[in-house]
Amino acid sequence: MQPLANITPLKPTARDGAVQISGVGQIYRTSGQDVVAVSEVSFEVKPGRFVVLVGPSGCGKSSLLMMMAGLRRPTSGAILVSGAPIDNPDPNRVGVVFQEPSLFPWLTAEENVEFPLALRGVARKTRRAKAGEALQLVGLEGFGSRHPHELSGGMKQRVSIARGLVQDPPLLLMDEPFAALDEQTRMTMGDELLRIWAATGKTIIFVTHSLTEAVYLADEVIVMSARPGRIVDRLEVGLPRPRSFEMLGGDTFGSLRDRIWRHIRKSA
Amino acid sequence: MSSTMLRRLIVMSLIVLWELLPRCGLVPELFLPSLSSTLAAGWNDAAEYGRALLVTLYEVAVAMVFACGGGILAGAIVGSLPRPRLLIMPMVSSLYAVPLVILYPVFTVWLGIGPESKIAFASIYGFLPTMLATVAGIQTIDPQLLLAARSMGATLGQRVTRVMIPAAIPTVLSGLRVGGALVIVGVVVSEMLISSGGIGYLISRYRTILESAHVFAGVLLVLALAVAFNALMRLIERRSAVWQTGSRAGRNAMVQETAAGLQPARPG
Repeated sequence: MQPLANITPLKPTARDGAVQISGVGQIYRTSGQDVVAVSEVSFEVKPGRFVVLVGPSGCGKSSLLMMMAGLRRPTSGAILVSGAPIDNPDPNRVGVVFQEPSLFPWLTAEENVEFPLALRGVARKTRRAKAGEALQLVGLEGFGSRHPHELSGGMKQRVSIARGLVQDPPLLLMDEPFAALDEQTRMTMGDELLRIWAATGKTIIFVTHSLTEAVYLADEVIVMSARPGRIVDRLEVGLPRPRSFEMLGGDTFGSLRDRIWRHIRKSA
Repeated sequence: MSSTMLRRLIVMSLIVLWELLPRCGLVPELFLPSLSSTLAAGWNDAAEYGRALLVTLYEVAVAMVFACGGGILAGAIVGSLPRPRLLIMPMVSSLYAVPLVILYPVFTVWLGIGPESKIAFASIYGFLPTMLATVAGIQTIDPQLLLAARSMGATLGQRVTRVMIPAAIPTVLSGLRVGGALVIVGVVVSEMLISSGGIGYLISRYRTILESAHVFAGVLLVLALAVAFNALMRLIERRSAVWQTGSRAGRNAMVQETAAGLQPARPG
């Protein structure tokens, strides 16, 4: 790893959800060839912000997210989460929500949410209580005893979000969590997520393909180029909160979306 | 008429025909003794059949432990390690096509004509499908589930016990069903070939002295054994794979969701 010259590390005990990425690159080998997935990416996310990563397919935004989750190691550069390097998954610092809800089909919704706590040997009673709170937060009170096959796509993704939140990590990483949902469910889930974000004050880093979703949700949009993935633009979304459906037709919204689209079209 | 009704009707009429055809002299009693004379033969020599049943049950039980236990263990190891899988699986698959009964005379030379040779033969006979199913069960585990578990901080051991094993259970059970059935076949067939006890031995002995009623009494006993095994497997499957009951419940959930007005709160 390179020295963290341009990063001032926070106290390692802090759990504020800040993310500091400096000079991160990732290279992987397939059939003898080096593929540069991510190249020289640096940015910082302040605690409590909602940041969206967009870019053309294969631009390494998911790779970047996997590295922030500690699921993959960067080839170069450094990533600090809450002021400390993230070498392995740490559910106390980072919660992850995937595109597929990835629920364990043999467990009930409640047991799925409890899963990360059970891994740590948390007592059953405490687990139940925390899972109940998390399910309530995502609007699934009373559905805890259902198995995933008894839930709709949107409900499954809510359970998955509850599971990401159950250990109260200050940072939530979301990898195209609503991509598999239909348009209507997707819109309501977006509003739901903003409500949860406002209620919990977490830092959220959200990957999406949808420009509308990006502008609608974000404080800041980070645009990445096609492979090798680099940052080509960062936009502050100045729209007031709470966001509402009416803003989608506004001029500010349209010009922000157009600006992102021009970048993506250029690099695609 | 429902298919269950129809099925029962077919079984009933077969039983009635079994009694009537020999009685009316349409079929000679040597070829097919009537149901009542078969039951009478079994009843009169109940002690002999009981002893034989105990021998067969003992052989089946021990072979079941070897075949299923060994098959699951070997399948789990081979299935989770890519290199051994590539080496071993083609051999195992082609071995599966060999009529293993040709090995049985060799087993009697090695182990004698008592229960040991039957147990050895039936164990190997049932081992292969169980192992193949376990390998398949492990290979079909959704890698996304393992990734999700890792993101929640699951260790390798936890991923095996809490994700891989439960995820593989349905496939393994279907392998057990085939493997267990083959264990019964293996035991009975080997008893009929060369042996000194067991139901297969009784069937074979009574056949040589043209005691058809006693032959059929033995056949009924084997039939009962197979039906009992099947019922047991069903019970286990139902208990351990509740979650496998398809996606219809999921669609119902969507309807309920809309009906219950599970609407998200507005942001803010």
